Amino acid sequence: MSLNKSQMVTLFTNLVRTNEYDLTMYGRMMAGKLLGFYHPGEGGIAPGVGACSFLNKDDFFSPHHRAHGMGHMLSKGIDLKTYLAEHTGKQGGCCAGRSSFHASYPAFNQFMYSGFIGYNFTPATGWGWAAKRAGKQQVVMMCSGDGSYGQDRAHEGMLMASNWRPPIIFWCENNGLAIHARTDDMHPAEHISSLAQGFDIPVEIVDGQDVFACAEAALRAIEHCRNGKGPFFVECKTTRFREHDIGTPDLIEDKPRTEEMINELKQRDPMVIATERVLAEGILTQNEIDRIKDAAANEVADAWAWADAQPKAEPCEEALLAAVYAP
Amino acid sequence: MSRDLPLIEAIREALIEEMEQDEKVFLVGQDLRGTIFPHTSGLVDRFGTERVIDTPISESGMYGTAMGAAHAGYRPVVDFMFGGFTYVTYSEVAVSTGQQYFLHGSQTPMPLVITAAVGAGGRLANDHAMAIHGSFLHQPGIKVAMPSTPYDAKGLFKAAIRDNNPVVIPWHMGLMMDKGPVPEADYIVPLGVADVKREGNDVTVLANSLQLKNALAVAEKLKDEISVEVIDPRTFEPFDMPTLLKSLEKTNRLVIVDEDWENGGFASTISARVMEQGFDLLDAPVTRVTFPNIPVPGGYMEPYIMPNPQKIEAAIRSVCA
Repeated sequence: MSLNKSQMVTLFTNLVRTNEYDLTMYGRMMAGKLLGFYHPGEGGIAPGVGACSFLNKDDFFSPHHRAHGMGHMLSKGIDLKTYLAEHTGKQGGCCAGRSSFHASYPAFNQFMYSGFIGYNFTPATGWGWAAKRAGKQQVVMMCSGDGSYGQDRAHEGMLMASNWRPPIIFWCENNGLAIHARTDDMHPAEHISSLAQGFDIPVEIVDGQDVFACAEAALRAIEHCRNGKGPFFVECKTTRFREHDIGTPDLIEDKPRTEEMINELKQRDPMVIATERVLAEGILTQNEIDRIKDAAANEVADAWAWADAQPKAEPCEEALLAAVYAP
Repeated sequence: MSRDLPLIEAIREALIEEMEQDEKVFLVGQDLRGTIFPHTSGLVDRFGTERVIDTPISESGMYGTAMGAAHAGYRPVVDFMFGGFTYVTYSEVAVSTGQQYFLHGSQTPMPLVITAAVGAGGRLANDHAMAIHGSFLHQPGIKVAMPSTPYDAKGLFKAAIRDNNPVVIPWHMGLMMDKGPVPEADYIVPLGVADVKREGNDVTVLANSLQLKNALAVAEKLKDEISVEVIDPRTFEPFDMPTLLKSLEKTNRLVIVDEDWENGGFASTISARVMEQGFDLLDAPVTRVTFPNIPVPGGYMEPYIMPNPQKIEAAIRSVCA
């Protein structure tokens, strides 16, 4: 499935926007201006953009926690200013400032983002069940990292998807590390996607540093699911350039990752790979790229300005008590 | 019109009526089609495999299906077979579902019903006998109810299915075949309304489910000596505090009977609330009849831990002394 020019521009733009958001989050956290954790995305932002840039608004999706799913969310069409407000405990936050960074956007059929890794697999079965029953060709883009496949929920979700054939794409962003643990030390097989084969779920493995390759795989998986052919598994081989979360030492097992290791990884920077390709194929000129970057920088600056201007969410206890149960 | 039905049949009627009324209601569990308990008997013939769903032995997957479907606007009833099995996926039920509505800005209601058989007395030991209402009562965002009569069972289940929040509603195996009048006409028992099952003047006994039966038997036995008022909470969360306080204005004494551990359960919670809101009404310390903190044993040792008429009578006598 080859991409047309407009699709490639969309992907490149969303990649640039994701990168811009991700870098400001790092800066904000280092400046003490972000609440909670931040799990930097640098080096691993292509899969989310590829997965979500061509979803429909009513498709269900669950973002991966890396870069806090911002690439997934903005690619799906969500305006992230309310996410920034949420992340800073503001009234204009998408969840009224109550969710820390584990937010949801029900209008976009995004309901879950849990600090319990792998807890999105089983509700995904329910979204897939609902999508199948509604018969409107919706799909479920179930994004997660390699680490979440240690959860029994992942296995139960795949088992039930395998039984019921709902339109679920298991989108694995395998960056080789779960906090400090090596994926190849935690999982017996070379590929996480080997697990899916035990459930008779078709698999595709893709270069997770290449946003266009990710999107092509996503489009194939989406078409498979929309056509009622049951679940699909895509494993994106990706990486990360920074520590697991800001403030945690950047280790591999018990040893710091060396500069040589990181430089080696940076040979395959998704931003560089995408830029070289759009230039080489004449999809975009350098001037157009610069404009896209400027627009992204402005978008992120505006989003932060909006979020910063929001008052803190500090309702009275009575208001909170009244918010626990639905009427 | 009203007929006498066993409690389990009253639950079955509630499920059928709500599934007929609202096509968003469906059942998910294990062996619901073949049935382990009779409340799902024949439902697959009536509603099809799409709405009576059997899953593998994957409690998290089974429950997660319901959660995801609830996000998407369905109204699932999740049947865990035995209440102890809710602990397999307690984090989903208690944390992910219970806290979802609030944490996500009160945007996405979670209309889920969680049911299961509970209760000691069958020599089944902990996994198949543990109470669950206290554990879920502890968690914000969840409503918890438990019926003691067939009438309440049908009415509470119907109210739970229509509620826009997660409602945990176990039923006691010791009451499964107990018969009582159940109206044919549509009705609900609202969540959060206790029921004075027997009026009295000397002492209030707050007892639920199977223990309500024991409390009523003791009240009858003592009627010429001590006038016992028996209140069935029916719902643990929200709890009907006004009904209890009104009773205490009259009796000034309270015994709470609860088939659950003493630590941090319903009985402790209500004891503390009575101290805070009704201390001046009390002529004697609130007394609890609960499980001591011993695991529910198998074999012949359940009587060591279960509340029973003798223990209830002793507690009543101690507060009336």
